Amino acid sequence: MTQTATISADDFLKFQEFFYRKTGIRFEDTKRYFVDKRLIERIGQSGTRNFREYFSLLRFEADGTELQALVNLMTVNETYFFREDYQFDCLVKSILPEIVARKKDKAPIRIWALPSSSGEEAYTIAMCLIERWPGIRDHDVEIISSDIDTGILAQAKAGLYSARSVAHVPEAYMRKYFTKKAAGFQIDDDLRNAVEFTRVNLQDPADVRPYRHFDVIFCRNLLIYFDDLSRKQAAETFYDALCPGGFILLGHSESMSRISSLFQIRKFADAIVYQRAGVERS
Amino acid sequence: MAFIKKIRTASRPDDQRDGARDHDGLILKLDSADATTRRWAARDLAGDPRASAALLVRLQCESEVSVREVILTSLMRIADPAAIAGLVACLRSEDASLRNEAIEAMKALPADVGPIMRDLLIDPDPDVRIFAINVLESLRHPDVESWLLDVIDRDPLVNVCGTAVDLLTEVGTAASHDGLERLKVRFAAEPYIQFAAALALKRIAPA
Repeated sequence: MTQTATISADDFLKFQEFFYRKTGIRFEDTKRYFVDKRLIERIGQSGTRNFREYFSLLRFEADGTELQALVNLMTVNETYFFREDYQFDCLVKSILPEIVARKKDKAPIRIWALPSSSGEEAYTIAMCLIERWPGIRDHDVEIISSDIDTGILAQAKAGLYSARSVAHVPEAYMRKYFTKKAAGFQIDDDLRNAVEFTRVNLQDPADVRPYRHFDVIFCRNLLIYFDDLSRKQAAETFYDALCPGGFILLGHSESMSRISSLFQIRKFADAIVYQRAGVERS
Repeated sequence: MAFIKKIRTASRPDDQRDGARDHDGLILKLDSADATTRRWAARDLAGDPRASAALLVRLQCESEVSVREVILTSLMRIADPAAIAGLVACLRSEDASLRNEAIEAMKALPADVGPIMRDLLIDPDPDVRIFAINVLESLRHPDVESWLLDVIDRDPLVNVCGTAVDLLTEVGTAASHDGLERLKVRFAAEPYIQFAAALALKRIAPA
């Protein structure tokens, strides 16, 4: 009979420290059950016999495949409309007013959202701007949303969503922007036309070079899947993609401070975001 | 006012970049008076294996933090012997931020740093030995534990051994047991070593 692995308190502490350093995610003791369950699952699936063997695999596996598999398991990777809604409130109440106040030209405000996945985040931004930001009457806005996966980009452009995906959309917005169809909920053409979806590999310098002069970047729950070097490179890409003083919003469990010193922390009423430091010639 | 959607490009049209982007052109731009130009040059040199020496020279005098970061990332991408030797040299720098940047860079290069790690851990300078242990903290390399065991078996300084024991608390296995016991004997009068070694032994004990 196969014996199920167990995770001791000291094992948990070792893992907690290691995982925090690798991902910036710290699981408190209250998450013991959540963590243990997933660790035991990966111990079984990776062919290791106990925590000690598995932890050794995690630390020393050269290509980091197992660490990636564990990260995927430990993080909730689902996309839906109005996910982490407080960040959109921060966008319209704090970030955009600040950008508008210092803008000296008539150039459009540019927002980059990636990874686009099936488009929920980019369309949420568009809805929030229309519904919650009076400034949309006076300023042009470009919303560009990118992903490496062309299949998912096609889905994003099609704009057809499941009930689960739209579960957090306010009822009034549902009536205004969605049509119920047999296959799901179709987002309306005005919103579809508000967002430009593009394929980009964030790790490819040639791909990202044209992405510049953004005022705001949303990059939520992506960097945790990168290794340290790739994270640093992504941070540098964002730095050059942003205008001086531009903002970047990460997922709630991500911290730019642990990746790069290029950005300053800004604490707004609704969220903590990061800002490109300094003003220099763009 | 409204949403604007551009066709075929996500970029604004003023993204033309001046000058040659070849090796010689980019090396020249590393000394530009403009930080953005230097940063872009350093980024583009990431794919140029001949660029290590020039990047390292620039790193020594670069004051703009955004350019320093990109230079280090490019050196990490190149990771040739010249780049690694340059990072090791940074460990001896009086500039604390440069040292820390080098440590962080080396942590991400297990295959390249591995072959020189044993030498760094017996460097005559104890600070370099401690920095080398700091590199091991996140170095994904199968010899980390055996390197640390060598350190606690023979390094004469309590600070160096203490740093190694702290890390063994996390990465140590049963193979570290005897080495930790020997260390306790060797530094019997050092309360910190007694405490740290006892904690490490508790952590590595079989569940």
